[in-house]
Amino acid sequence: MPYKCIHCSEIYEDGSKEILTGCNKCKSKFFFYIKKEKLQEILANKNKAPELSAEEKDQIEQDVREMVGLEEDSETPVFLDFESVRVIKPGKYLLDLTKLFSMNKLRIYQLEDGKYIVDLSNKGESE
Amino acid sequence: MLKILKSFSKRMLRGLFRKRESIKIGFYGPPNAGKTSLANRICKDWTGEDIGLVSKVPHETRHVQFKEKVEIKHKGKTLVLKLIDTPGIATKIDYEEFLKFGIKRNEAKRRAKEATQGIIESIQWLDDMDAVVIVLDASENPYSQVNITIIGNLVARKIPVLIVANKIDLKKAEVDKVASAFPDYEIVGISAKEGTNLDEFYEALFRLAKKI
Repeated sequence: MPYKCIHCSEIYEDGSKEILTGCNKCKSKFFFYIKKEKLQEILANKNKAPELSAEEKDQIEQDVREMVGLEEDSETPVFLDFESVRVIKPGKYLLDLTKLFSMNKLRIYQLEDGKYIVDLSNKGESE
Repeated sequence: MLKILKSFSKRMLRGLFRKRESIKIGFYGPPNAGKTSLANRICKDWTGEDIGLVSKVPHETRHVQFKEKVEIKHKGKTLVLKLIDTPGIATKIDYEEFLKFGIKRNEAKRRAKEATQGIIESIQWLDDMDAVVIVLDASENPYSQVNITIIGNLVARKIPVLIVANKIDLKKAEVDKVASAFPDYEIVGISAKEGTNLDEFYEALFRLAKKI
């Protein structure tokens, strides 16, 4: 009857010495017992990726972000380096409003790391 | 004495001149706060025409749109405005937000680009404004970077401000929260969609025009 290490999920056959000496991988001595037929089922499904729709994937990502506190919050302030607009990828932009509102600052667009466009036509007036 | 007379005549002349010329009032605020809904209601009430399209999709207004000579008559007083409706100001534009509304990927990306250009355009127009009406969604947190940056910059430019807490028809709306976030400004709670409290809004608009 197989056992599963509760720390690293390594599986050992019944009667393995590791049940007494500890897990080979993590040295834990805590195991739980799995019925043989259940283990076969688990192993069969191990490499099977679940079929999810785009909406389900989005929902999962959103849920996980919420759980770990990484929720993309529109209220998070945006302060860029010296550029006023950063193009993260096509259709995704970050805008530093403080710089855009500033009358005496040129508009600088960051296209990618190390690549910028300076808008000279928008030479700011002094405040 | 001469100085007093001079400034008095200057004020009188300016007052007479202002009566004939329209005042430029800009509608600013974050996306989906109801700027176009309010501008439409005013335009419809006084000119019979809309100013722009309204939608649930954020950044529906992506270009500055305006209506010349909107003549508002309220309690025997008249105010002539050039009403300027601006695209919503945001710190992040993400095309994926538009996909949720059934917009196709390429169209969503184009929309995101236009929305970004629209924000820059809105900010560029700010210097042309005589006064600004800031339209906020009363059901959203008022302490956002967008709201604070807009208001702070108007103060720095000495542009008179009126804050409208829109969407009071929503259960989540908290006009008091908006008022406590910006205690130095006049706040009017309205529902542009349902036309609630517009009388109070027009009163405040006349007071705003006096500050120019």
